[in-house]
Amino acid sequence: MNRKFAAAAAVSIAATLSLAACSGGVSTAPSATSDNKPVTISVSGWSLTTTPEFQVLADGFHKQHPNVTVQVKDYDAANYATLLTADLAAGTAPDVVAIKQVTDMVTFASGGQLVDVSDVKLSDGIKGASSYKLDGKQYAIPYRLDGNVLFYNKDLFKAAGVPDPDGTWTWDDYTAAAEKLKTGLKSAGSSALPAYLHTWNSQVQSFATAQTPKADMLSGNYAYMKPYYEQALKMQDEGLQLPFATASANKTTYQAEFGKQQAAMELMGSWYVATLLAQQKSGDADKFQWGMAPVPQRTSATAGTDKKPVTFGDPTGFAINVKTDGAKLTAAKEFLSYVESEKAAESLAQIGISPALVTDAVTKTFFGQQGIPTDSLSKFAWGSQKIAPQNPPSPKTPIASTALTAMHSAIMTGSTSLDKAISDAGAQFKNQAG
Amino acid sequence: MTAIATDVDTSPTPPLPRRRSRLRRRNSLIGWSFILPNFLGFALLTLIPVVTLFYLGFTNWNIFGTANWTGLANFQRLLGDTTFHTAVLNTFYYAVLHIPLTFVVSLGLALLLNTKLRGVAFFRTAAFFPYITSIVAIAVVWNLLFSPQYGPINQLLHFVGIANPPTWLQSTTWALPATVIVSTWRDMGYYMVLFLAGLQTVPRELHEAARVDGASVWQRFWNVTMPCLRPTTFFVTVMLTINSFKVFDLILVMTNGGPGNATLVLSQFIYQTAFVQNQFGYASAASIVLFLICIVVTIIQFLINKRRSA
Repeated sequence: MNRKFAAAAAVSIAATLSLAACSGGVSTAPSATSDNKPVTISVSGWSLTTTPEFQVLADGFHKQHPNVTVQVKDYDAANYATLLTADLAAGTAPDVVAIKQVTDMVTFASGGQLVDVSDVKLSDGIKGASSYKLDGKQYAIPYRLDGNVLFYNKDLFKAAGVPDPDGTWTWDDYTAAAEKLKTGLKSAGSSALPAYLHTWNSQVQSFATAQTPKADMLSGNYAYMKPYYEQALKMQDEGLQLPFATASANKTTYQAEFGKQQAAMELMGSWYVATLLAQQKSGDADKFQWGMAPVPQRTSATAGTDKKPVTFGDPTGFAINVKTDGAKLTAAKEFLSYVESEKAAESLAQIGISPALVTDAVTKTFFGQQGIPTDSLSKFAWGSQKIAPQNPPSPKTPIASTALTAMHSAIMTGSTSLDKAISDAGAQFKNQAG
Repeated sequence: MTAIATDVDTSPTPPLPRRRSRLRRRNSLIGWSFILPNFLGFALLTLIPVVTLFYLGFTNWNIFGTANWTGLANFQRLLGDTTFHTAVLNTFYYAVLHIPLTFVVSLGLALLLNTKLRGVAFFRTAAFFPYITSIVAIAVVWNLLFSPQYGPINQLLHFVGIANPPTWLQSTTWALPATVIVSTWRDMGYYMVLFLAGLQTVPRELHEAARVDGASVWQRFWNVTMPCLRPTTFFVTVMLTINSFKVFDLILVMTNGGPGNATLVLSQFIYQTAFVQNQFGYASAASIVLFLICIVVTIIQFLINKRRSA
C-alpha cells in the first residue's frame, strides 16, 4: 500500500514535471532560450563610441534572454553600406545587420542576402515598418524613426517680438513669420537670420513628396516640387535664410547654425534633439530656450494640433543575414522582436533616441531628459506627426536620388531655371532607370 | 649553389650550353623573386580586378548574385544616356583646360626656379607644397576662397571694380573652370619637379654656343631648351592627360558633380553608378569607355612623339 502510494506519487510528480516542462517549452517556443543553451549572435553597428543605441539594445535583450549573448561589431559609419556589402558578399557579415538606409535594405534583400522576417510580430502603432517591405515581404524591423520637426529658438522669438509657432503653420505662415522675425531681430540688434535651410535636397524635396497627394519620387515627374522650391527660393531671395551657395561653399553645419543662434528656426530630424542637448551641456552650443513645432504644411487641412501634420523620415532597423540558421536564427528573430518592443523603445528614449514605437510611456521617458523642452507642442511635434517615408523601398530610389541631388543644387544656386532643372532631373531619372 | 659545385666537381669538362641555361634560370629566378612581392600586390589588387572589370562590363552584375551576360546592352545604354554624355563632355572640357594650363604654368615655374636665385630651394618647396597637401583640406579651403558672398576672391574682384563676379563653384558656368584652377594650383609643383629634372639635362654648352651666335632668350628657349626637353615634355603630357581624364577625388569633395551636373566627370559617373546605384555592370562598361579614351589619346601622343623625334 505504502509502496503503491509512493509509486503513484512518483508517477504523478513526474507527469506534472514533464507537463510543466512542456508548457514551459510551449510558452517560449520556438525559442532558442527554451533549452537554455547559450547562443551568441553578432549584430552590426557603427561608431559605437558615439552611437550607444546598439549596446543599449544588446544589453536590454541580454537581460530578457540571459542565455543569448549579443556581440556588436563596429563599422565605420561613413562607409557602412560599402563595408557591409563587402562582408555580406564574402559571407562574413554578422547574423543581424543594422540597416542604416532604406536603400541598403533594398540592395541586400534583392541580392538575396536577407531573411524574410514577416513572421516577426510587430507592436501596434509601430511606425516605419512599411519602408522595409519589398514585394510584399518584410525584410527588416524598425527600431528608430526620426521625423523632421521645426526647431525654434524661443529666446530669439521673444527678442523679435514674434509669437511662437502654434502648430497650425502652413508654408506661407512659416515665410510670413520669417519676415516678421527679420525685422524684429534687426530692431532687437540681433544678427541672427530668421531661418536656416540645410543644403540637403531632402530639405525641400522630401517635404514636397510627403505632403503632396499622389506625389511619387519614382515617377520622374517632379513638377509637384515646384511650389516648395518657389517658397525656398523666396526665403533665400528675401534674405530670410542663408543662401544655399554660401551654405554649401562654407560647409555650414546645421548644429552650429541653430546651436550658436545664427538662425531662429531650423527644420531638422528629431535626431538633432540628443545632439542639441549634449552640445548645450558641453558648451558647444549656446544655452537658450528652444522648442519643437510640427513642420509647416502644404494646406491648412493637415495643419493643427487637432490634425495629423505630415512630415517625413526614414526608419533605422535590423535585418537578418541569410546565412544565419538554427538556434542563431531563432535568437536573431527574438532580437528583432525585442528591438521594436515598448521596453526597447523606452530604453532608447532614455538616451535621447526617437524610437519607431511611440507610446505615452515612451514620450514620458523621452521628455524626462534633462534640458529638453516640455511644452505640449514639442511633445506633439515629436510624437504625433504623420511620418511619411522619405525613400521608397525600390532599386530605383538611388537613381532618383542622384538626379534629385543634381536638381537641388542647380535650382538652389540659381544657376538653372526651375522648369529646366525639373525637366532635366526627370529626363536623367528616366534615362538611367530604363 | 651546391648543385653547381657538384656539377663542376664531377664533370671536368661540363657541357657549356647546359651550364649556361642553368645560370640563366638561376638569374631569372632571382629576378622573379625580386619582382614577386610587388607583382603579387599588383596582380591581386590591380590586374585581376581590371581583367574582371572587362568581363563585368558585358554583364548586369549588381554585386550580389550572378553576373548575367548581356552582351553589348550596357554600351547601347551608354549611347543613349544623356547623363553619361554630360560626364564625357565635362571630362573633355576639364582636360582641354587643365592640360595646357598646368603644362605652361609648371614649365614656367621650372624655368624660373632653374636660375640661380637667392632662396630658390624655398620657392621650389613652396611650389611643391600643394601637391602634398590633403585633397580634402584643399577642397574645403578653396571652397571658402571661392565663396560667392564672403570669399576673399570675390571680395578682391569687387575691390578692383568687378561688380558682378562669378559665383564660381555655385554656378553651372564657372564651377568647372574653378576646379581647373584648383587642380592646376595643386599639380603644378609635381610637374615643375619633373621639368626641373629635365632642365638639368640641357647641355650648358648649347646655350653658350647659341648665345655666342647672338640668339635671343626667346630663340634659345625654342631652339635649345624645348628640343632638349622633349622626353620630359612627352612624359609630362602623357601623365597630365591620363590624370585629367581620370580626375575624381578633387571634384568629388569640392563640388560632388554640382551644381546640377555641371562638374560631373566620367570617374564620378562611374562611382555613382557603381557605389550609389549598385549597377556594377553598367559602371564597368563606363570604365571600359574611360579606359579606351585614355589609351587612344595616349597612342596618338606616342605617334606624334615618334614622328617628331624621327
